[in-house]
Amino acid sequence: MSWLRIRELVRKEFIQLFRDKKNRPLLVIAPLVQLIVFGYVVTTDVRDIRVGLIDQSRTPESRRLIQAIDANHTFRITHYLNSPAELDRLLLERRIDLGVIIPPDISSKIHKRETAEIQILADGSMSNMASIRISYTMVLLEQFNAELLRELYRKRIDYGEIDGRIRTWYNPNLDSQYFYVPGIVAFLVMLLSLLFTSMAIVREKESGTMEQLMVTPLRPSELILGKTIPFIIISQAQMVLVIVFAILWFKIPMVGNAFLLLAATFIFLISTLGIGLFISTVSKTQQQAMMTNFFFILPFFMLSGFVFPIANMPTVVQWLTYLNPLQYFLVIVRGIFLKGTGLGVLWPQLLGLAILGLLVFPAAVNRFRTRVD
Amino acid sequence: MNLKNVQAIARKEYYHLIRDFRSLYLAFFIPLLLILLFGYALSLDVDDIRTVVVDHDQTPESRDFIRQLDASVYFLVIGYLTDTTALEHTIEQNRAILGIVIPPGWSANLKADRKSPLQVIIDGSDPNFAGSTRAFISAYISQTNQKALLQFLNRQGLQNIKTPVEGRIRVWFNEDLESRNFIVPGIIALIIMIVGALLTSLVIAREYENGTMETIRSLPVQATEFLLGKAVPYFLIALVDVLVAILMGQVLFGVVMKSSFWLMIAASCVYLGVALCVGLLISALTKSQLVANQMAILVTYLPSLLLSNFVFPKENMPAVLKMITYLIPATYYIDILNGLYLRNLSLTYLWPGFLVLLLMFFLLSLLNVVILKKEGL
Repeated sequence: MSWLRIRELVRKEFIQLFRDKKNRPLLVIAPLVQLIVFGYVVTTDVRDIRVGLIDQSRTPESRRLIQAIDANHTFRITHYLNSPAELDRLLLERRIDLGVIIPPDISSKIHKRETAEIQILADGSMSNMASIRISYTMVLLEQFNAELLRELYRKRIDYGEIDGRIRTWYNPNLDSQYFYVPGIVAFLVMLLSLLFTSMAIVREKESGTMEQLMVTPLRPSELILGKTIPFIIISQAQMVLVIVFAILWFKIPMVGNAFLLLAATFIFLISTLGIGLFISTVSKTQQQAMMTNFFFILPFFMLSGFVFPIANMPTVVQWLTYLNPLQYFLVIVRGIFLKGTGLGVLWPQLLGLAILGLLVFPAAVNRFRTRVD
Repeated sequence: MNLKNVQAIARKEYYHLIRDFRSLYLAFFIPLLLILLFGYALSLDVDDIRTVVVDHDQTPESRDFIRQLDASVYFLVIGYLTDTTALEHTIEQNRAILGIVIPPGWSANLKADRKSPLQVIIDGSDPNFAGSTRAFISAYISQTNQKALLQFLNRQGLQNIKTPVEGRIRVWFNEDLESRNFIVPGIIALIIMIVGALLTSLVIAREYENGTMETIRSLPVQATEFLLGKAVPYFLIALVDVLVAILMGQVLFGVVMKSSFWLMIAASCVYLGVALCVGLLISALTKSQLVANQMAILVTYLPSLLLSNFVFPKENMPAVLKMITYLIPATYYIDILNGLYLRNLSLTYLWPGFLVLLLMFFLLSLLNVVILKKEGL
């Protein structure tokens, strides 16, 4: 093995990558744009419930209910309407999330000490958010009821009330950026390292320069090293760039050890570069390589616990996630970033990554070598 | 425009695809994989929240409180622990999301008509999941409280007191509150982007990279013929993908379209046209497959996933990103799909979306032709 030859190949790779003027900004801008968009967008938090309201009663009681809705900071009455047909239309056009119809008999029913029925129409199309909206509505109505009961029967009622003291750990404000930005960092490293390795090698094949490389005195192992080292360097540099940006822009505190993170990234890169190499051995064209990449990236992304909690998946699928390098890396990145966890806690994940890397990389190298020979 | 020329280019592209068997195979397999994953494995609905309980009270009342919590679809009690440290440990180790600590004397307090604290701990590390958990547990507690209040009043000798108002909640459009009912249509939009724009973004760049663009320039082929020929094979593949996705959604997962099937096909064709135009435009502009691929992910795939109101509502976005959503074709297509699949809407409601997509299609194809003409086609 000659380090000189490897160094020259690495140099060629860098020149080729940076010679293309369109490539240069992409290497820097693409990850940052993705980080920003992901960071701001990935939340299904219910902060603002748009309500369309029909008051068929127009009595002090109905106005009190309207006030109670208005005073709640999650609800916002956007439309006061007269007919149910208008309400239906607004719901169909997705301009309101909730329709509330206060019946004409609300006042008389309350004073007769009967139950008045409030009609509530909920747009269920985004089911996860709809369930939360419905829960909030129930809480609101029950608070309103308690208030009315107090007034109707006594000035002060001290009944045995459960005082739920809800504490949220780790992320008290449920700030989604804390959770997702470190995740995006992990995802981006995988995306870039996979795509770049496989496509750069296949490009040589497609344009016929692979033949030329093979008639040079380069040995297969040197070729592999020369082809992967640039992407290890670029991926690590992008990792640093993205982390610095996450800290400065999103103000995500980096609690843990940065060196441990970089070391973990290196171990993670061994398996992704292995997969990249593998893809390059089974692809003849860049189009093929890209599709094959997607074949890996999509399940890795979906089954990593990035957006969809692994605990919610069926058991068989949960087993499958153990084969997913991103799953381990995500736990590591989030742990180091947010909780400052160290080797003592993260070693199973690091071990998992290392085992995956040691299985995938040599296999890919072997395949690559036989192809080159 | 000469149809024969279009046919010739299309045939050439078709040969490229056929010879490249695996690209073709993946163009069908990836959509299948996506639909299967989302149908079976991935759900955004929060149910069976893993809950651990420490019951220091150990009274029939406290046990009843927990039993009813367990009976609800939202919660699943996975363990009873003896002390708070063990509970904190379970949450730290990610085995439970929700912890409930019932202090000693809890039900005695309730019986004596005093406020009685209940400790609730939620693992907030996944904010979406924690947000749902918080909403559901709050609703459960306030429901229990309301019952207690009524009992209290009735015990005071005021006979037969009823709640003053009651919400009759009806859920529209997605009556079962199943996330797959809105995710499967969204996946169709994603599939069209992958096949229509990501795959085609390499098509013209490849000609430049291999030097065959020179040959094509010397041929008596016009820009429109060239573009159409390049687009046709991918159009057909994507259309088959859409049909397969509709069928799988319906047969395997019971996601049924409420409105017209043909309207859906019409919308898909227009959106597919836009996707193909974007892909070809990227291809012609970048002239390098590696760059084209990166660009395509950046301007087609990610925005369709993130900025299209698909899973992440635009109401939550900062103003700038919210404005960008209006420039993303997927926003309009997913809106149309939502209308067709869930709301049973007709063209009277959906025409603005169709109009915007058609407009996008014409502008983009015009831009494509202009750019290729500049390149000497």
